[in-house]
Amino acid sequence: MAASMNRRQALKGMVGIAGTAVGAMTARAEEHPAHPVAAPDAVAMLYDNTICTGCKACMPACNEANGLPPDTVLSGGLWDMPADLNSKTKNIIKLYNEPDASAFAFVKRQCMHCLDPACVSGCPFGALKKSDWGAVTWNSSLCIGCRYCEVGCPFDVPKFEWNNWNPKVVKCEFCYDRLKKDEQPACTAVCPTGAVIFGKRTDLLEQAKERIASSPGKYFESRVYGEHEAGGTQVLYLSKVAFDKIGLPKLGSTSIGHYATKVTSVIYKWLSGPIVAAFFLGGLIKRNWNRHEAERLKREKETGLPDQL
Amino acid sequence: MPGSLTRSSKSLETIDERLKQCGLSRRSFIKFCSSLMVAAPFGLAITDMLTPEAVAAGLGKVIRPPVIWLHFQDCTGCTETLLRPSHPDLGDLILNVISLEYHETLMAGSGKQAEQALAEAVRKYSGKYVCVVEGSIPTKDNGVYMKLAGRPAMQVLQDVGSKAAAIIAIGSCAAWGGIPSADPAPTGAVGVADLLPDKAIVNLPGCPPNPYTLLGVVLQFAESGTLPELDHERRPKFAYDRDIHEHCPRRAHFDAGRFVKQFGDAGHREGWCLYEMGCKGPDTHAGCSTRHFNEIPDVWPIGIGAPCIGCTEKSIAFRVPMFKVIQIHTTAEPPSTYAPIVAPQGKVSPIATGIAGLAAGALAGAGYVASRKFSQVPNDEGIPGSPPAQDSQETQSGPGKGTTGEP
Amino acid sequence: MSSHDVTGTTLVNHWQRGVPVYREPVLTPTMLFFAALAALGLILALVRFFSPLGQFSGMNDAYAWGIWKTFNVMTLTALGSGPLAIGMAAWVFNRQKLHVVMRTALVSGFLFYATGLVALGFDVGRAWNFYNILFPWRWNAESAMLEISFCMPVYCFLFLAFENLPLVLERFYYTGSDATKAFLKRWAPALRRIYPFMLTGAYVLPLMHQSSLGGLLLLAGDKIHPLWQTPFLPLLYLLAAGFCGLGFLTFLLLITCLHYSRPLDAGIMGELGNLLSYVCFLFLAVRFGDLVWRAQLGTAFAFDRMSLLFLFETALILIPAVALRRTAVRETPRTLLNMAALACLGGLFFRFIPTTIAFSPAHNARYFPSVPELIMAIGYISLGILAFGLAVKYFAVLPGEIKDWNYMFRKVRQRRPEAVRI
Repeated sequence: MAASMNRRQALKGMVGIAGTAVGAMTARAEEHPAHPVAAPDAVAMLYDNTICTGCKACMPACNEANGLPPDTVLSGGLWDMPADLNSKTKNIIKLYNEPDASAFAFVKRQCMHCLDPACVSGCPFGALKKSDWGAVTWNSSLCIGCRYCEVGCPFDVPKFEWNNWNPKVVKCEFCYDRLKKDEQPACTAVCPTGAVIFGKRTDLLEQAKERIASSPGKYFESRVYGEHEAGGTQVLYLSKVAFDKIGLPKLGSTSIGHYATKVTSVIYKWLSGPIVAAFFLGGLIKRNWNRHEAERLKREKETGLPDQL
Repeated sequence: MPGSLTRSSKSLETIDERLKQCGLSRRSFIKFCSSLMVAAPFGLAITDMLTPEAVAAGLGKVIRPPVIWLHFQDCTGCTETLLRPSHPDLGDLILNVISLEYHETLMAGSGKQAEQALAEAVRKYSGKYVCVVEGSIPTKDNGVYMKLAGRPAMQVLQDVGSKAAAIIAIGSCAAWGGIPSADPAPTGAVGVADLLPDKAIVNLPGCPPNPYTLLGVVLQFAESGTLPELDHERRPKFAYDRDIHEHCPRRAHFDAGRFVKQFGDAGHREGWCLYEMGCKGPDTHAGCSTRHFNEIPDVWPIGIGAPCIGCTEKSIAFRVPMFKVIQIHTTAEPPSTYAPIVAPQGKVSPIATGIAGLAAGALAGAGYVASRKFSQVPNDEGIPGSPPAQDSQETQSGPGKGTTGEP
Repeated sequence: MSSHDVTGTTLVNHWQRGVPVYREPVLTPTMLFFAALAALGLILALVRFFSPLGQFSGMNDAYAWGIWKTFNVMTLTALGSGPLAIGMAAWVFNRQKLHVVMRTALVSGFLFYATGLVALGFDVGRAWNFYNILFPWRWNAESAMLEISFCMPVYCFLFLAFENLPLVLERFYYTGSDATKAFLKRWAPALRRIYPFMLTGAYVLPLMHQSSLGGLLLLAGDKIHPLWQTPFLPLLYLLAAGFCGLGFLTFLLLITCLHYSRPLDAGIMGELGNLLSYVCFLFLAVRFGDLVWRAQLGTAFAFDRMSLLFLFETALILIPAVALRRTAVRETPRTLLNMAALACLGGLFFRFIPTTIAFSPAHNARYFPSVPELIMAIGYISLGILAFGLAVKYFAVLPGEIKDWNYMFRKVRQRRPEAVRI
């Protein structure tokens, strides 16, 4: 009995080691600090709605650069008239009107390219990942279409192609192909007033703060949206009206990836949690099993009936 | 004055010399040059200059190009358009800028005299003249449906066109067949390019086209011997590469969704977009929306409230009904309205709600009915749904309990 | 076979081992009804697989997860956690009585999981890329979605299937030829040897993925109402799986005894009711402890729409928890049934609400499943019911008395089962 117990223990040990090995191979120790730090070459867009005239040149420029068709569904074939970001629209200009029509503001919406994106954190095979310069890109050969990214994004950015049997996840990718050719994104290149500009995140943050400092009271809460929201984003906003009025949600400065993984990253590190549970439960089960087996032989002899598992 | 034409038709002088000869003022020539610059703002070498004076100086040195003008199945509208400009001396100016050797409507002679003039012009300026063709050419039944001096139009075109340095097919009829080619096309009317595909041809479709387009092409040819850049239908790009819709003065109304619904309604009086009245502007390549006609602003179809009929386009004019609304094929731009901050999403299907309600109700009902079948007696181990055991000591419950005689 | 209760009265245990159902023919009108629903749902699912998702569901960009993921998987697998709950009670905490109902739990649990995984398979939009699961270096190890995509199929088709193997092999043994008997006799000891290891896996894996089902929602952050969004969501989902598994098994046993006219066993039912009550209390303790810790008690009693929903869901769990403390309630079939049903409903509500009802991505966004979506969901559930109905007739699953069973199994082709000598 003692020898077979050891054998069983050895087997359990081997399973444990194998498990740890698998865990070591597969668990990418993704760091999720509560307040992520931008990479030094991180690029950014700065959008200032006190300069934006609502000309929407960025919308056809984006469509053209990304090979997207115009969304003429709502206009009966007449205009490119999306109601929101969707599977044909990676970038949109929206208008906010004060209820008493005393003020209005435009807002340009597209992917925020967060420093620690929730979509990247949740994507099972890493189809969405943070690529060079911090652009968040999508890879069609890794995506299984589970739409977890849509559920996770606090800005409701990724859009799924509901009407395609080969559906893509559509969102702004910072004109990654253009970035690779040393060009700026199509929207910032075409903007006639410089309402949205392209540059390094550190430079644009500085510029934004200079704008705030030189015109006190002009910008809402005298701060840049995206500096800290959800841990920080690479699209920065300056607005004359409240951010939540133009659809930018109120968010804390902790990255969502951090919130979602702070417990599990500890429990599942090197699969330690499951392994400990396996050993603990296994021990109890083994003990009860042995008892069950011992009683089984007795019962079968008594009643003549085979045991049912 | 038409008479001066025959007198000086023997020799070709420069335009400056001719103008001096005819006593036409420098001022009217410069005004003519500025009109030319407006009509052909880019893509035309002679007008790619900064000031009308510079254009005038350049043009002045150009030797007047000889032009032979043929008429076939035409309405003479394209000639009329050349002479329509409202400034009284412009017709003169045009006729003095080019050397019109043969023109059935404008020349003094007729009959044998005209025939002779044609033959002589062709012989004298062979290989040098510009042949302007107006009207389509019938091809059915060996082309008998239009004859000039007893010879079919096809033959005349062959004789005169083959010796031209360049052919300009003015008007939709000469460009692709025009009205005579409309269904059922009884004469088999075709355009010049269908009969002489290998010649250097410039098509200027339109019904009628803008006269300055013709002048720009002719003068460029005269100055440098080159023709302006042409598109795949042999139309000069400087005049035909954009569509009406792109530069329409009523475009703001289109973008804002202000459409005329009925001729004479309030919108029509306000000058709203005519898209819903069947305007073919979005599919029609022409410059009418910027150049208008007769040099009077807003004198062009849309400007006076009539939807464009697409007269330059072979696939549209005289084929698609005038008031039929077309699909927009050009890249749709955003309208002048804006998306709201939060757009509505998702709809609730009433049938689905019904099904879900039915399922939930069925489950709840079944659950209630089932629960009533269960005994309220504690420790009742009997079969649920059967009457409860009489005696609590009888732990084997009543009827229906399994016996050894199982089926 | 008898046990003594506290007062000394002798009770006969009516549940001694699994016994197949004989009274009913295999294909009754009810079964045909469910078969029709299942066929309809599966055909639609197959058509959907080759078509755009938008045509077959009411999902939109605001509510990207319809009812397949959120109901068939996230919610119904809680009811399918019977193997986890009963198994832990029986094998870890050594409640010996529960071994006899283990098979019912195993079969129903397996079917809930299998139909849930079918639903999941037909829900993803780019299923052809799922082969990436074979390459561990492509896994995003921190994604709860990946954990579930890997853990649930492995659990269902390896560990849970293995646990279901004895009851399947038992049939082959008793209805098979001598060669079959010899073969099974030879391999039975080996199966018994690895059984405890498979059991360990069968409890560790659900601990992982049932909590990950809750972990999925952590990423949604503030889009979920604060009454439901908490770092404790994984633990709460796991506890909900626990009491739903217990509650559903109680409910299922009672309903099947009603439907197939089999006697009850007060001792075991009482035990299940007792455990159910404990786990419900544990769940409620964590739930309210979490609300206090996050200072959300005020929100819970604000009596707006979400607060009322929360209170309703809590009541559905609290009432059974309290009521089942009373022995009379535990041991009376009707009240036990009602309390178990309430607890299950409460658990289902808790697991479903944060996915859809308390989920607010954008104002002006609405979602309700479309007709094809509902038909498919109902189809998957009907498939499970149909399979369960067939399983209890062909295999010895439902607990019964030994004297009712002469080691008979229904032959597949014949309507009337034949007696088979051992």
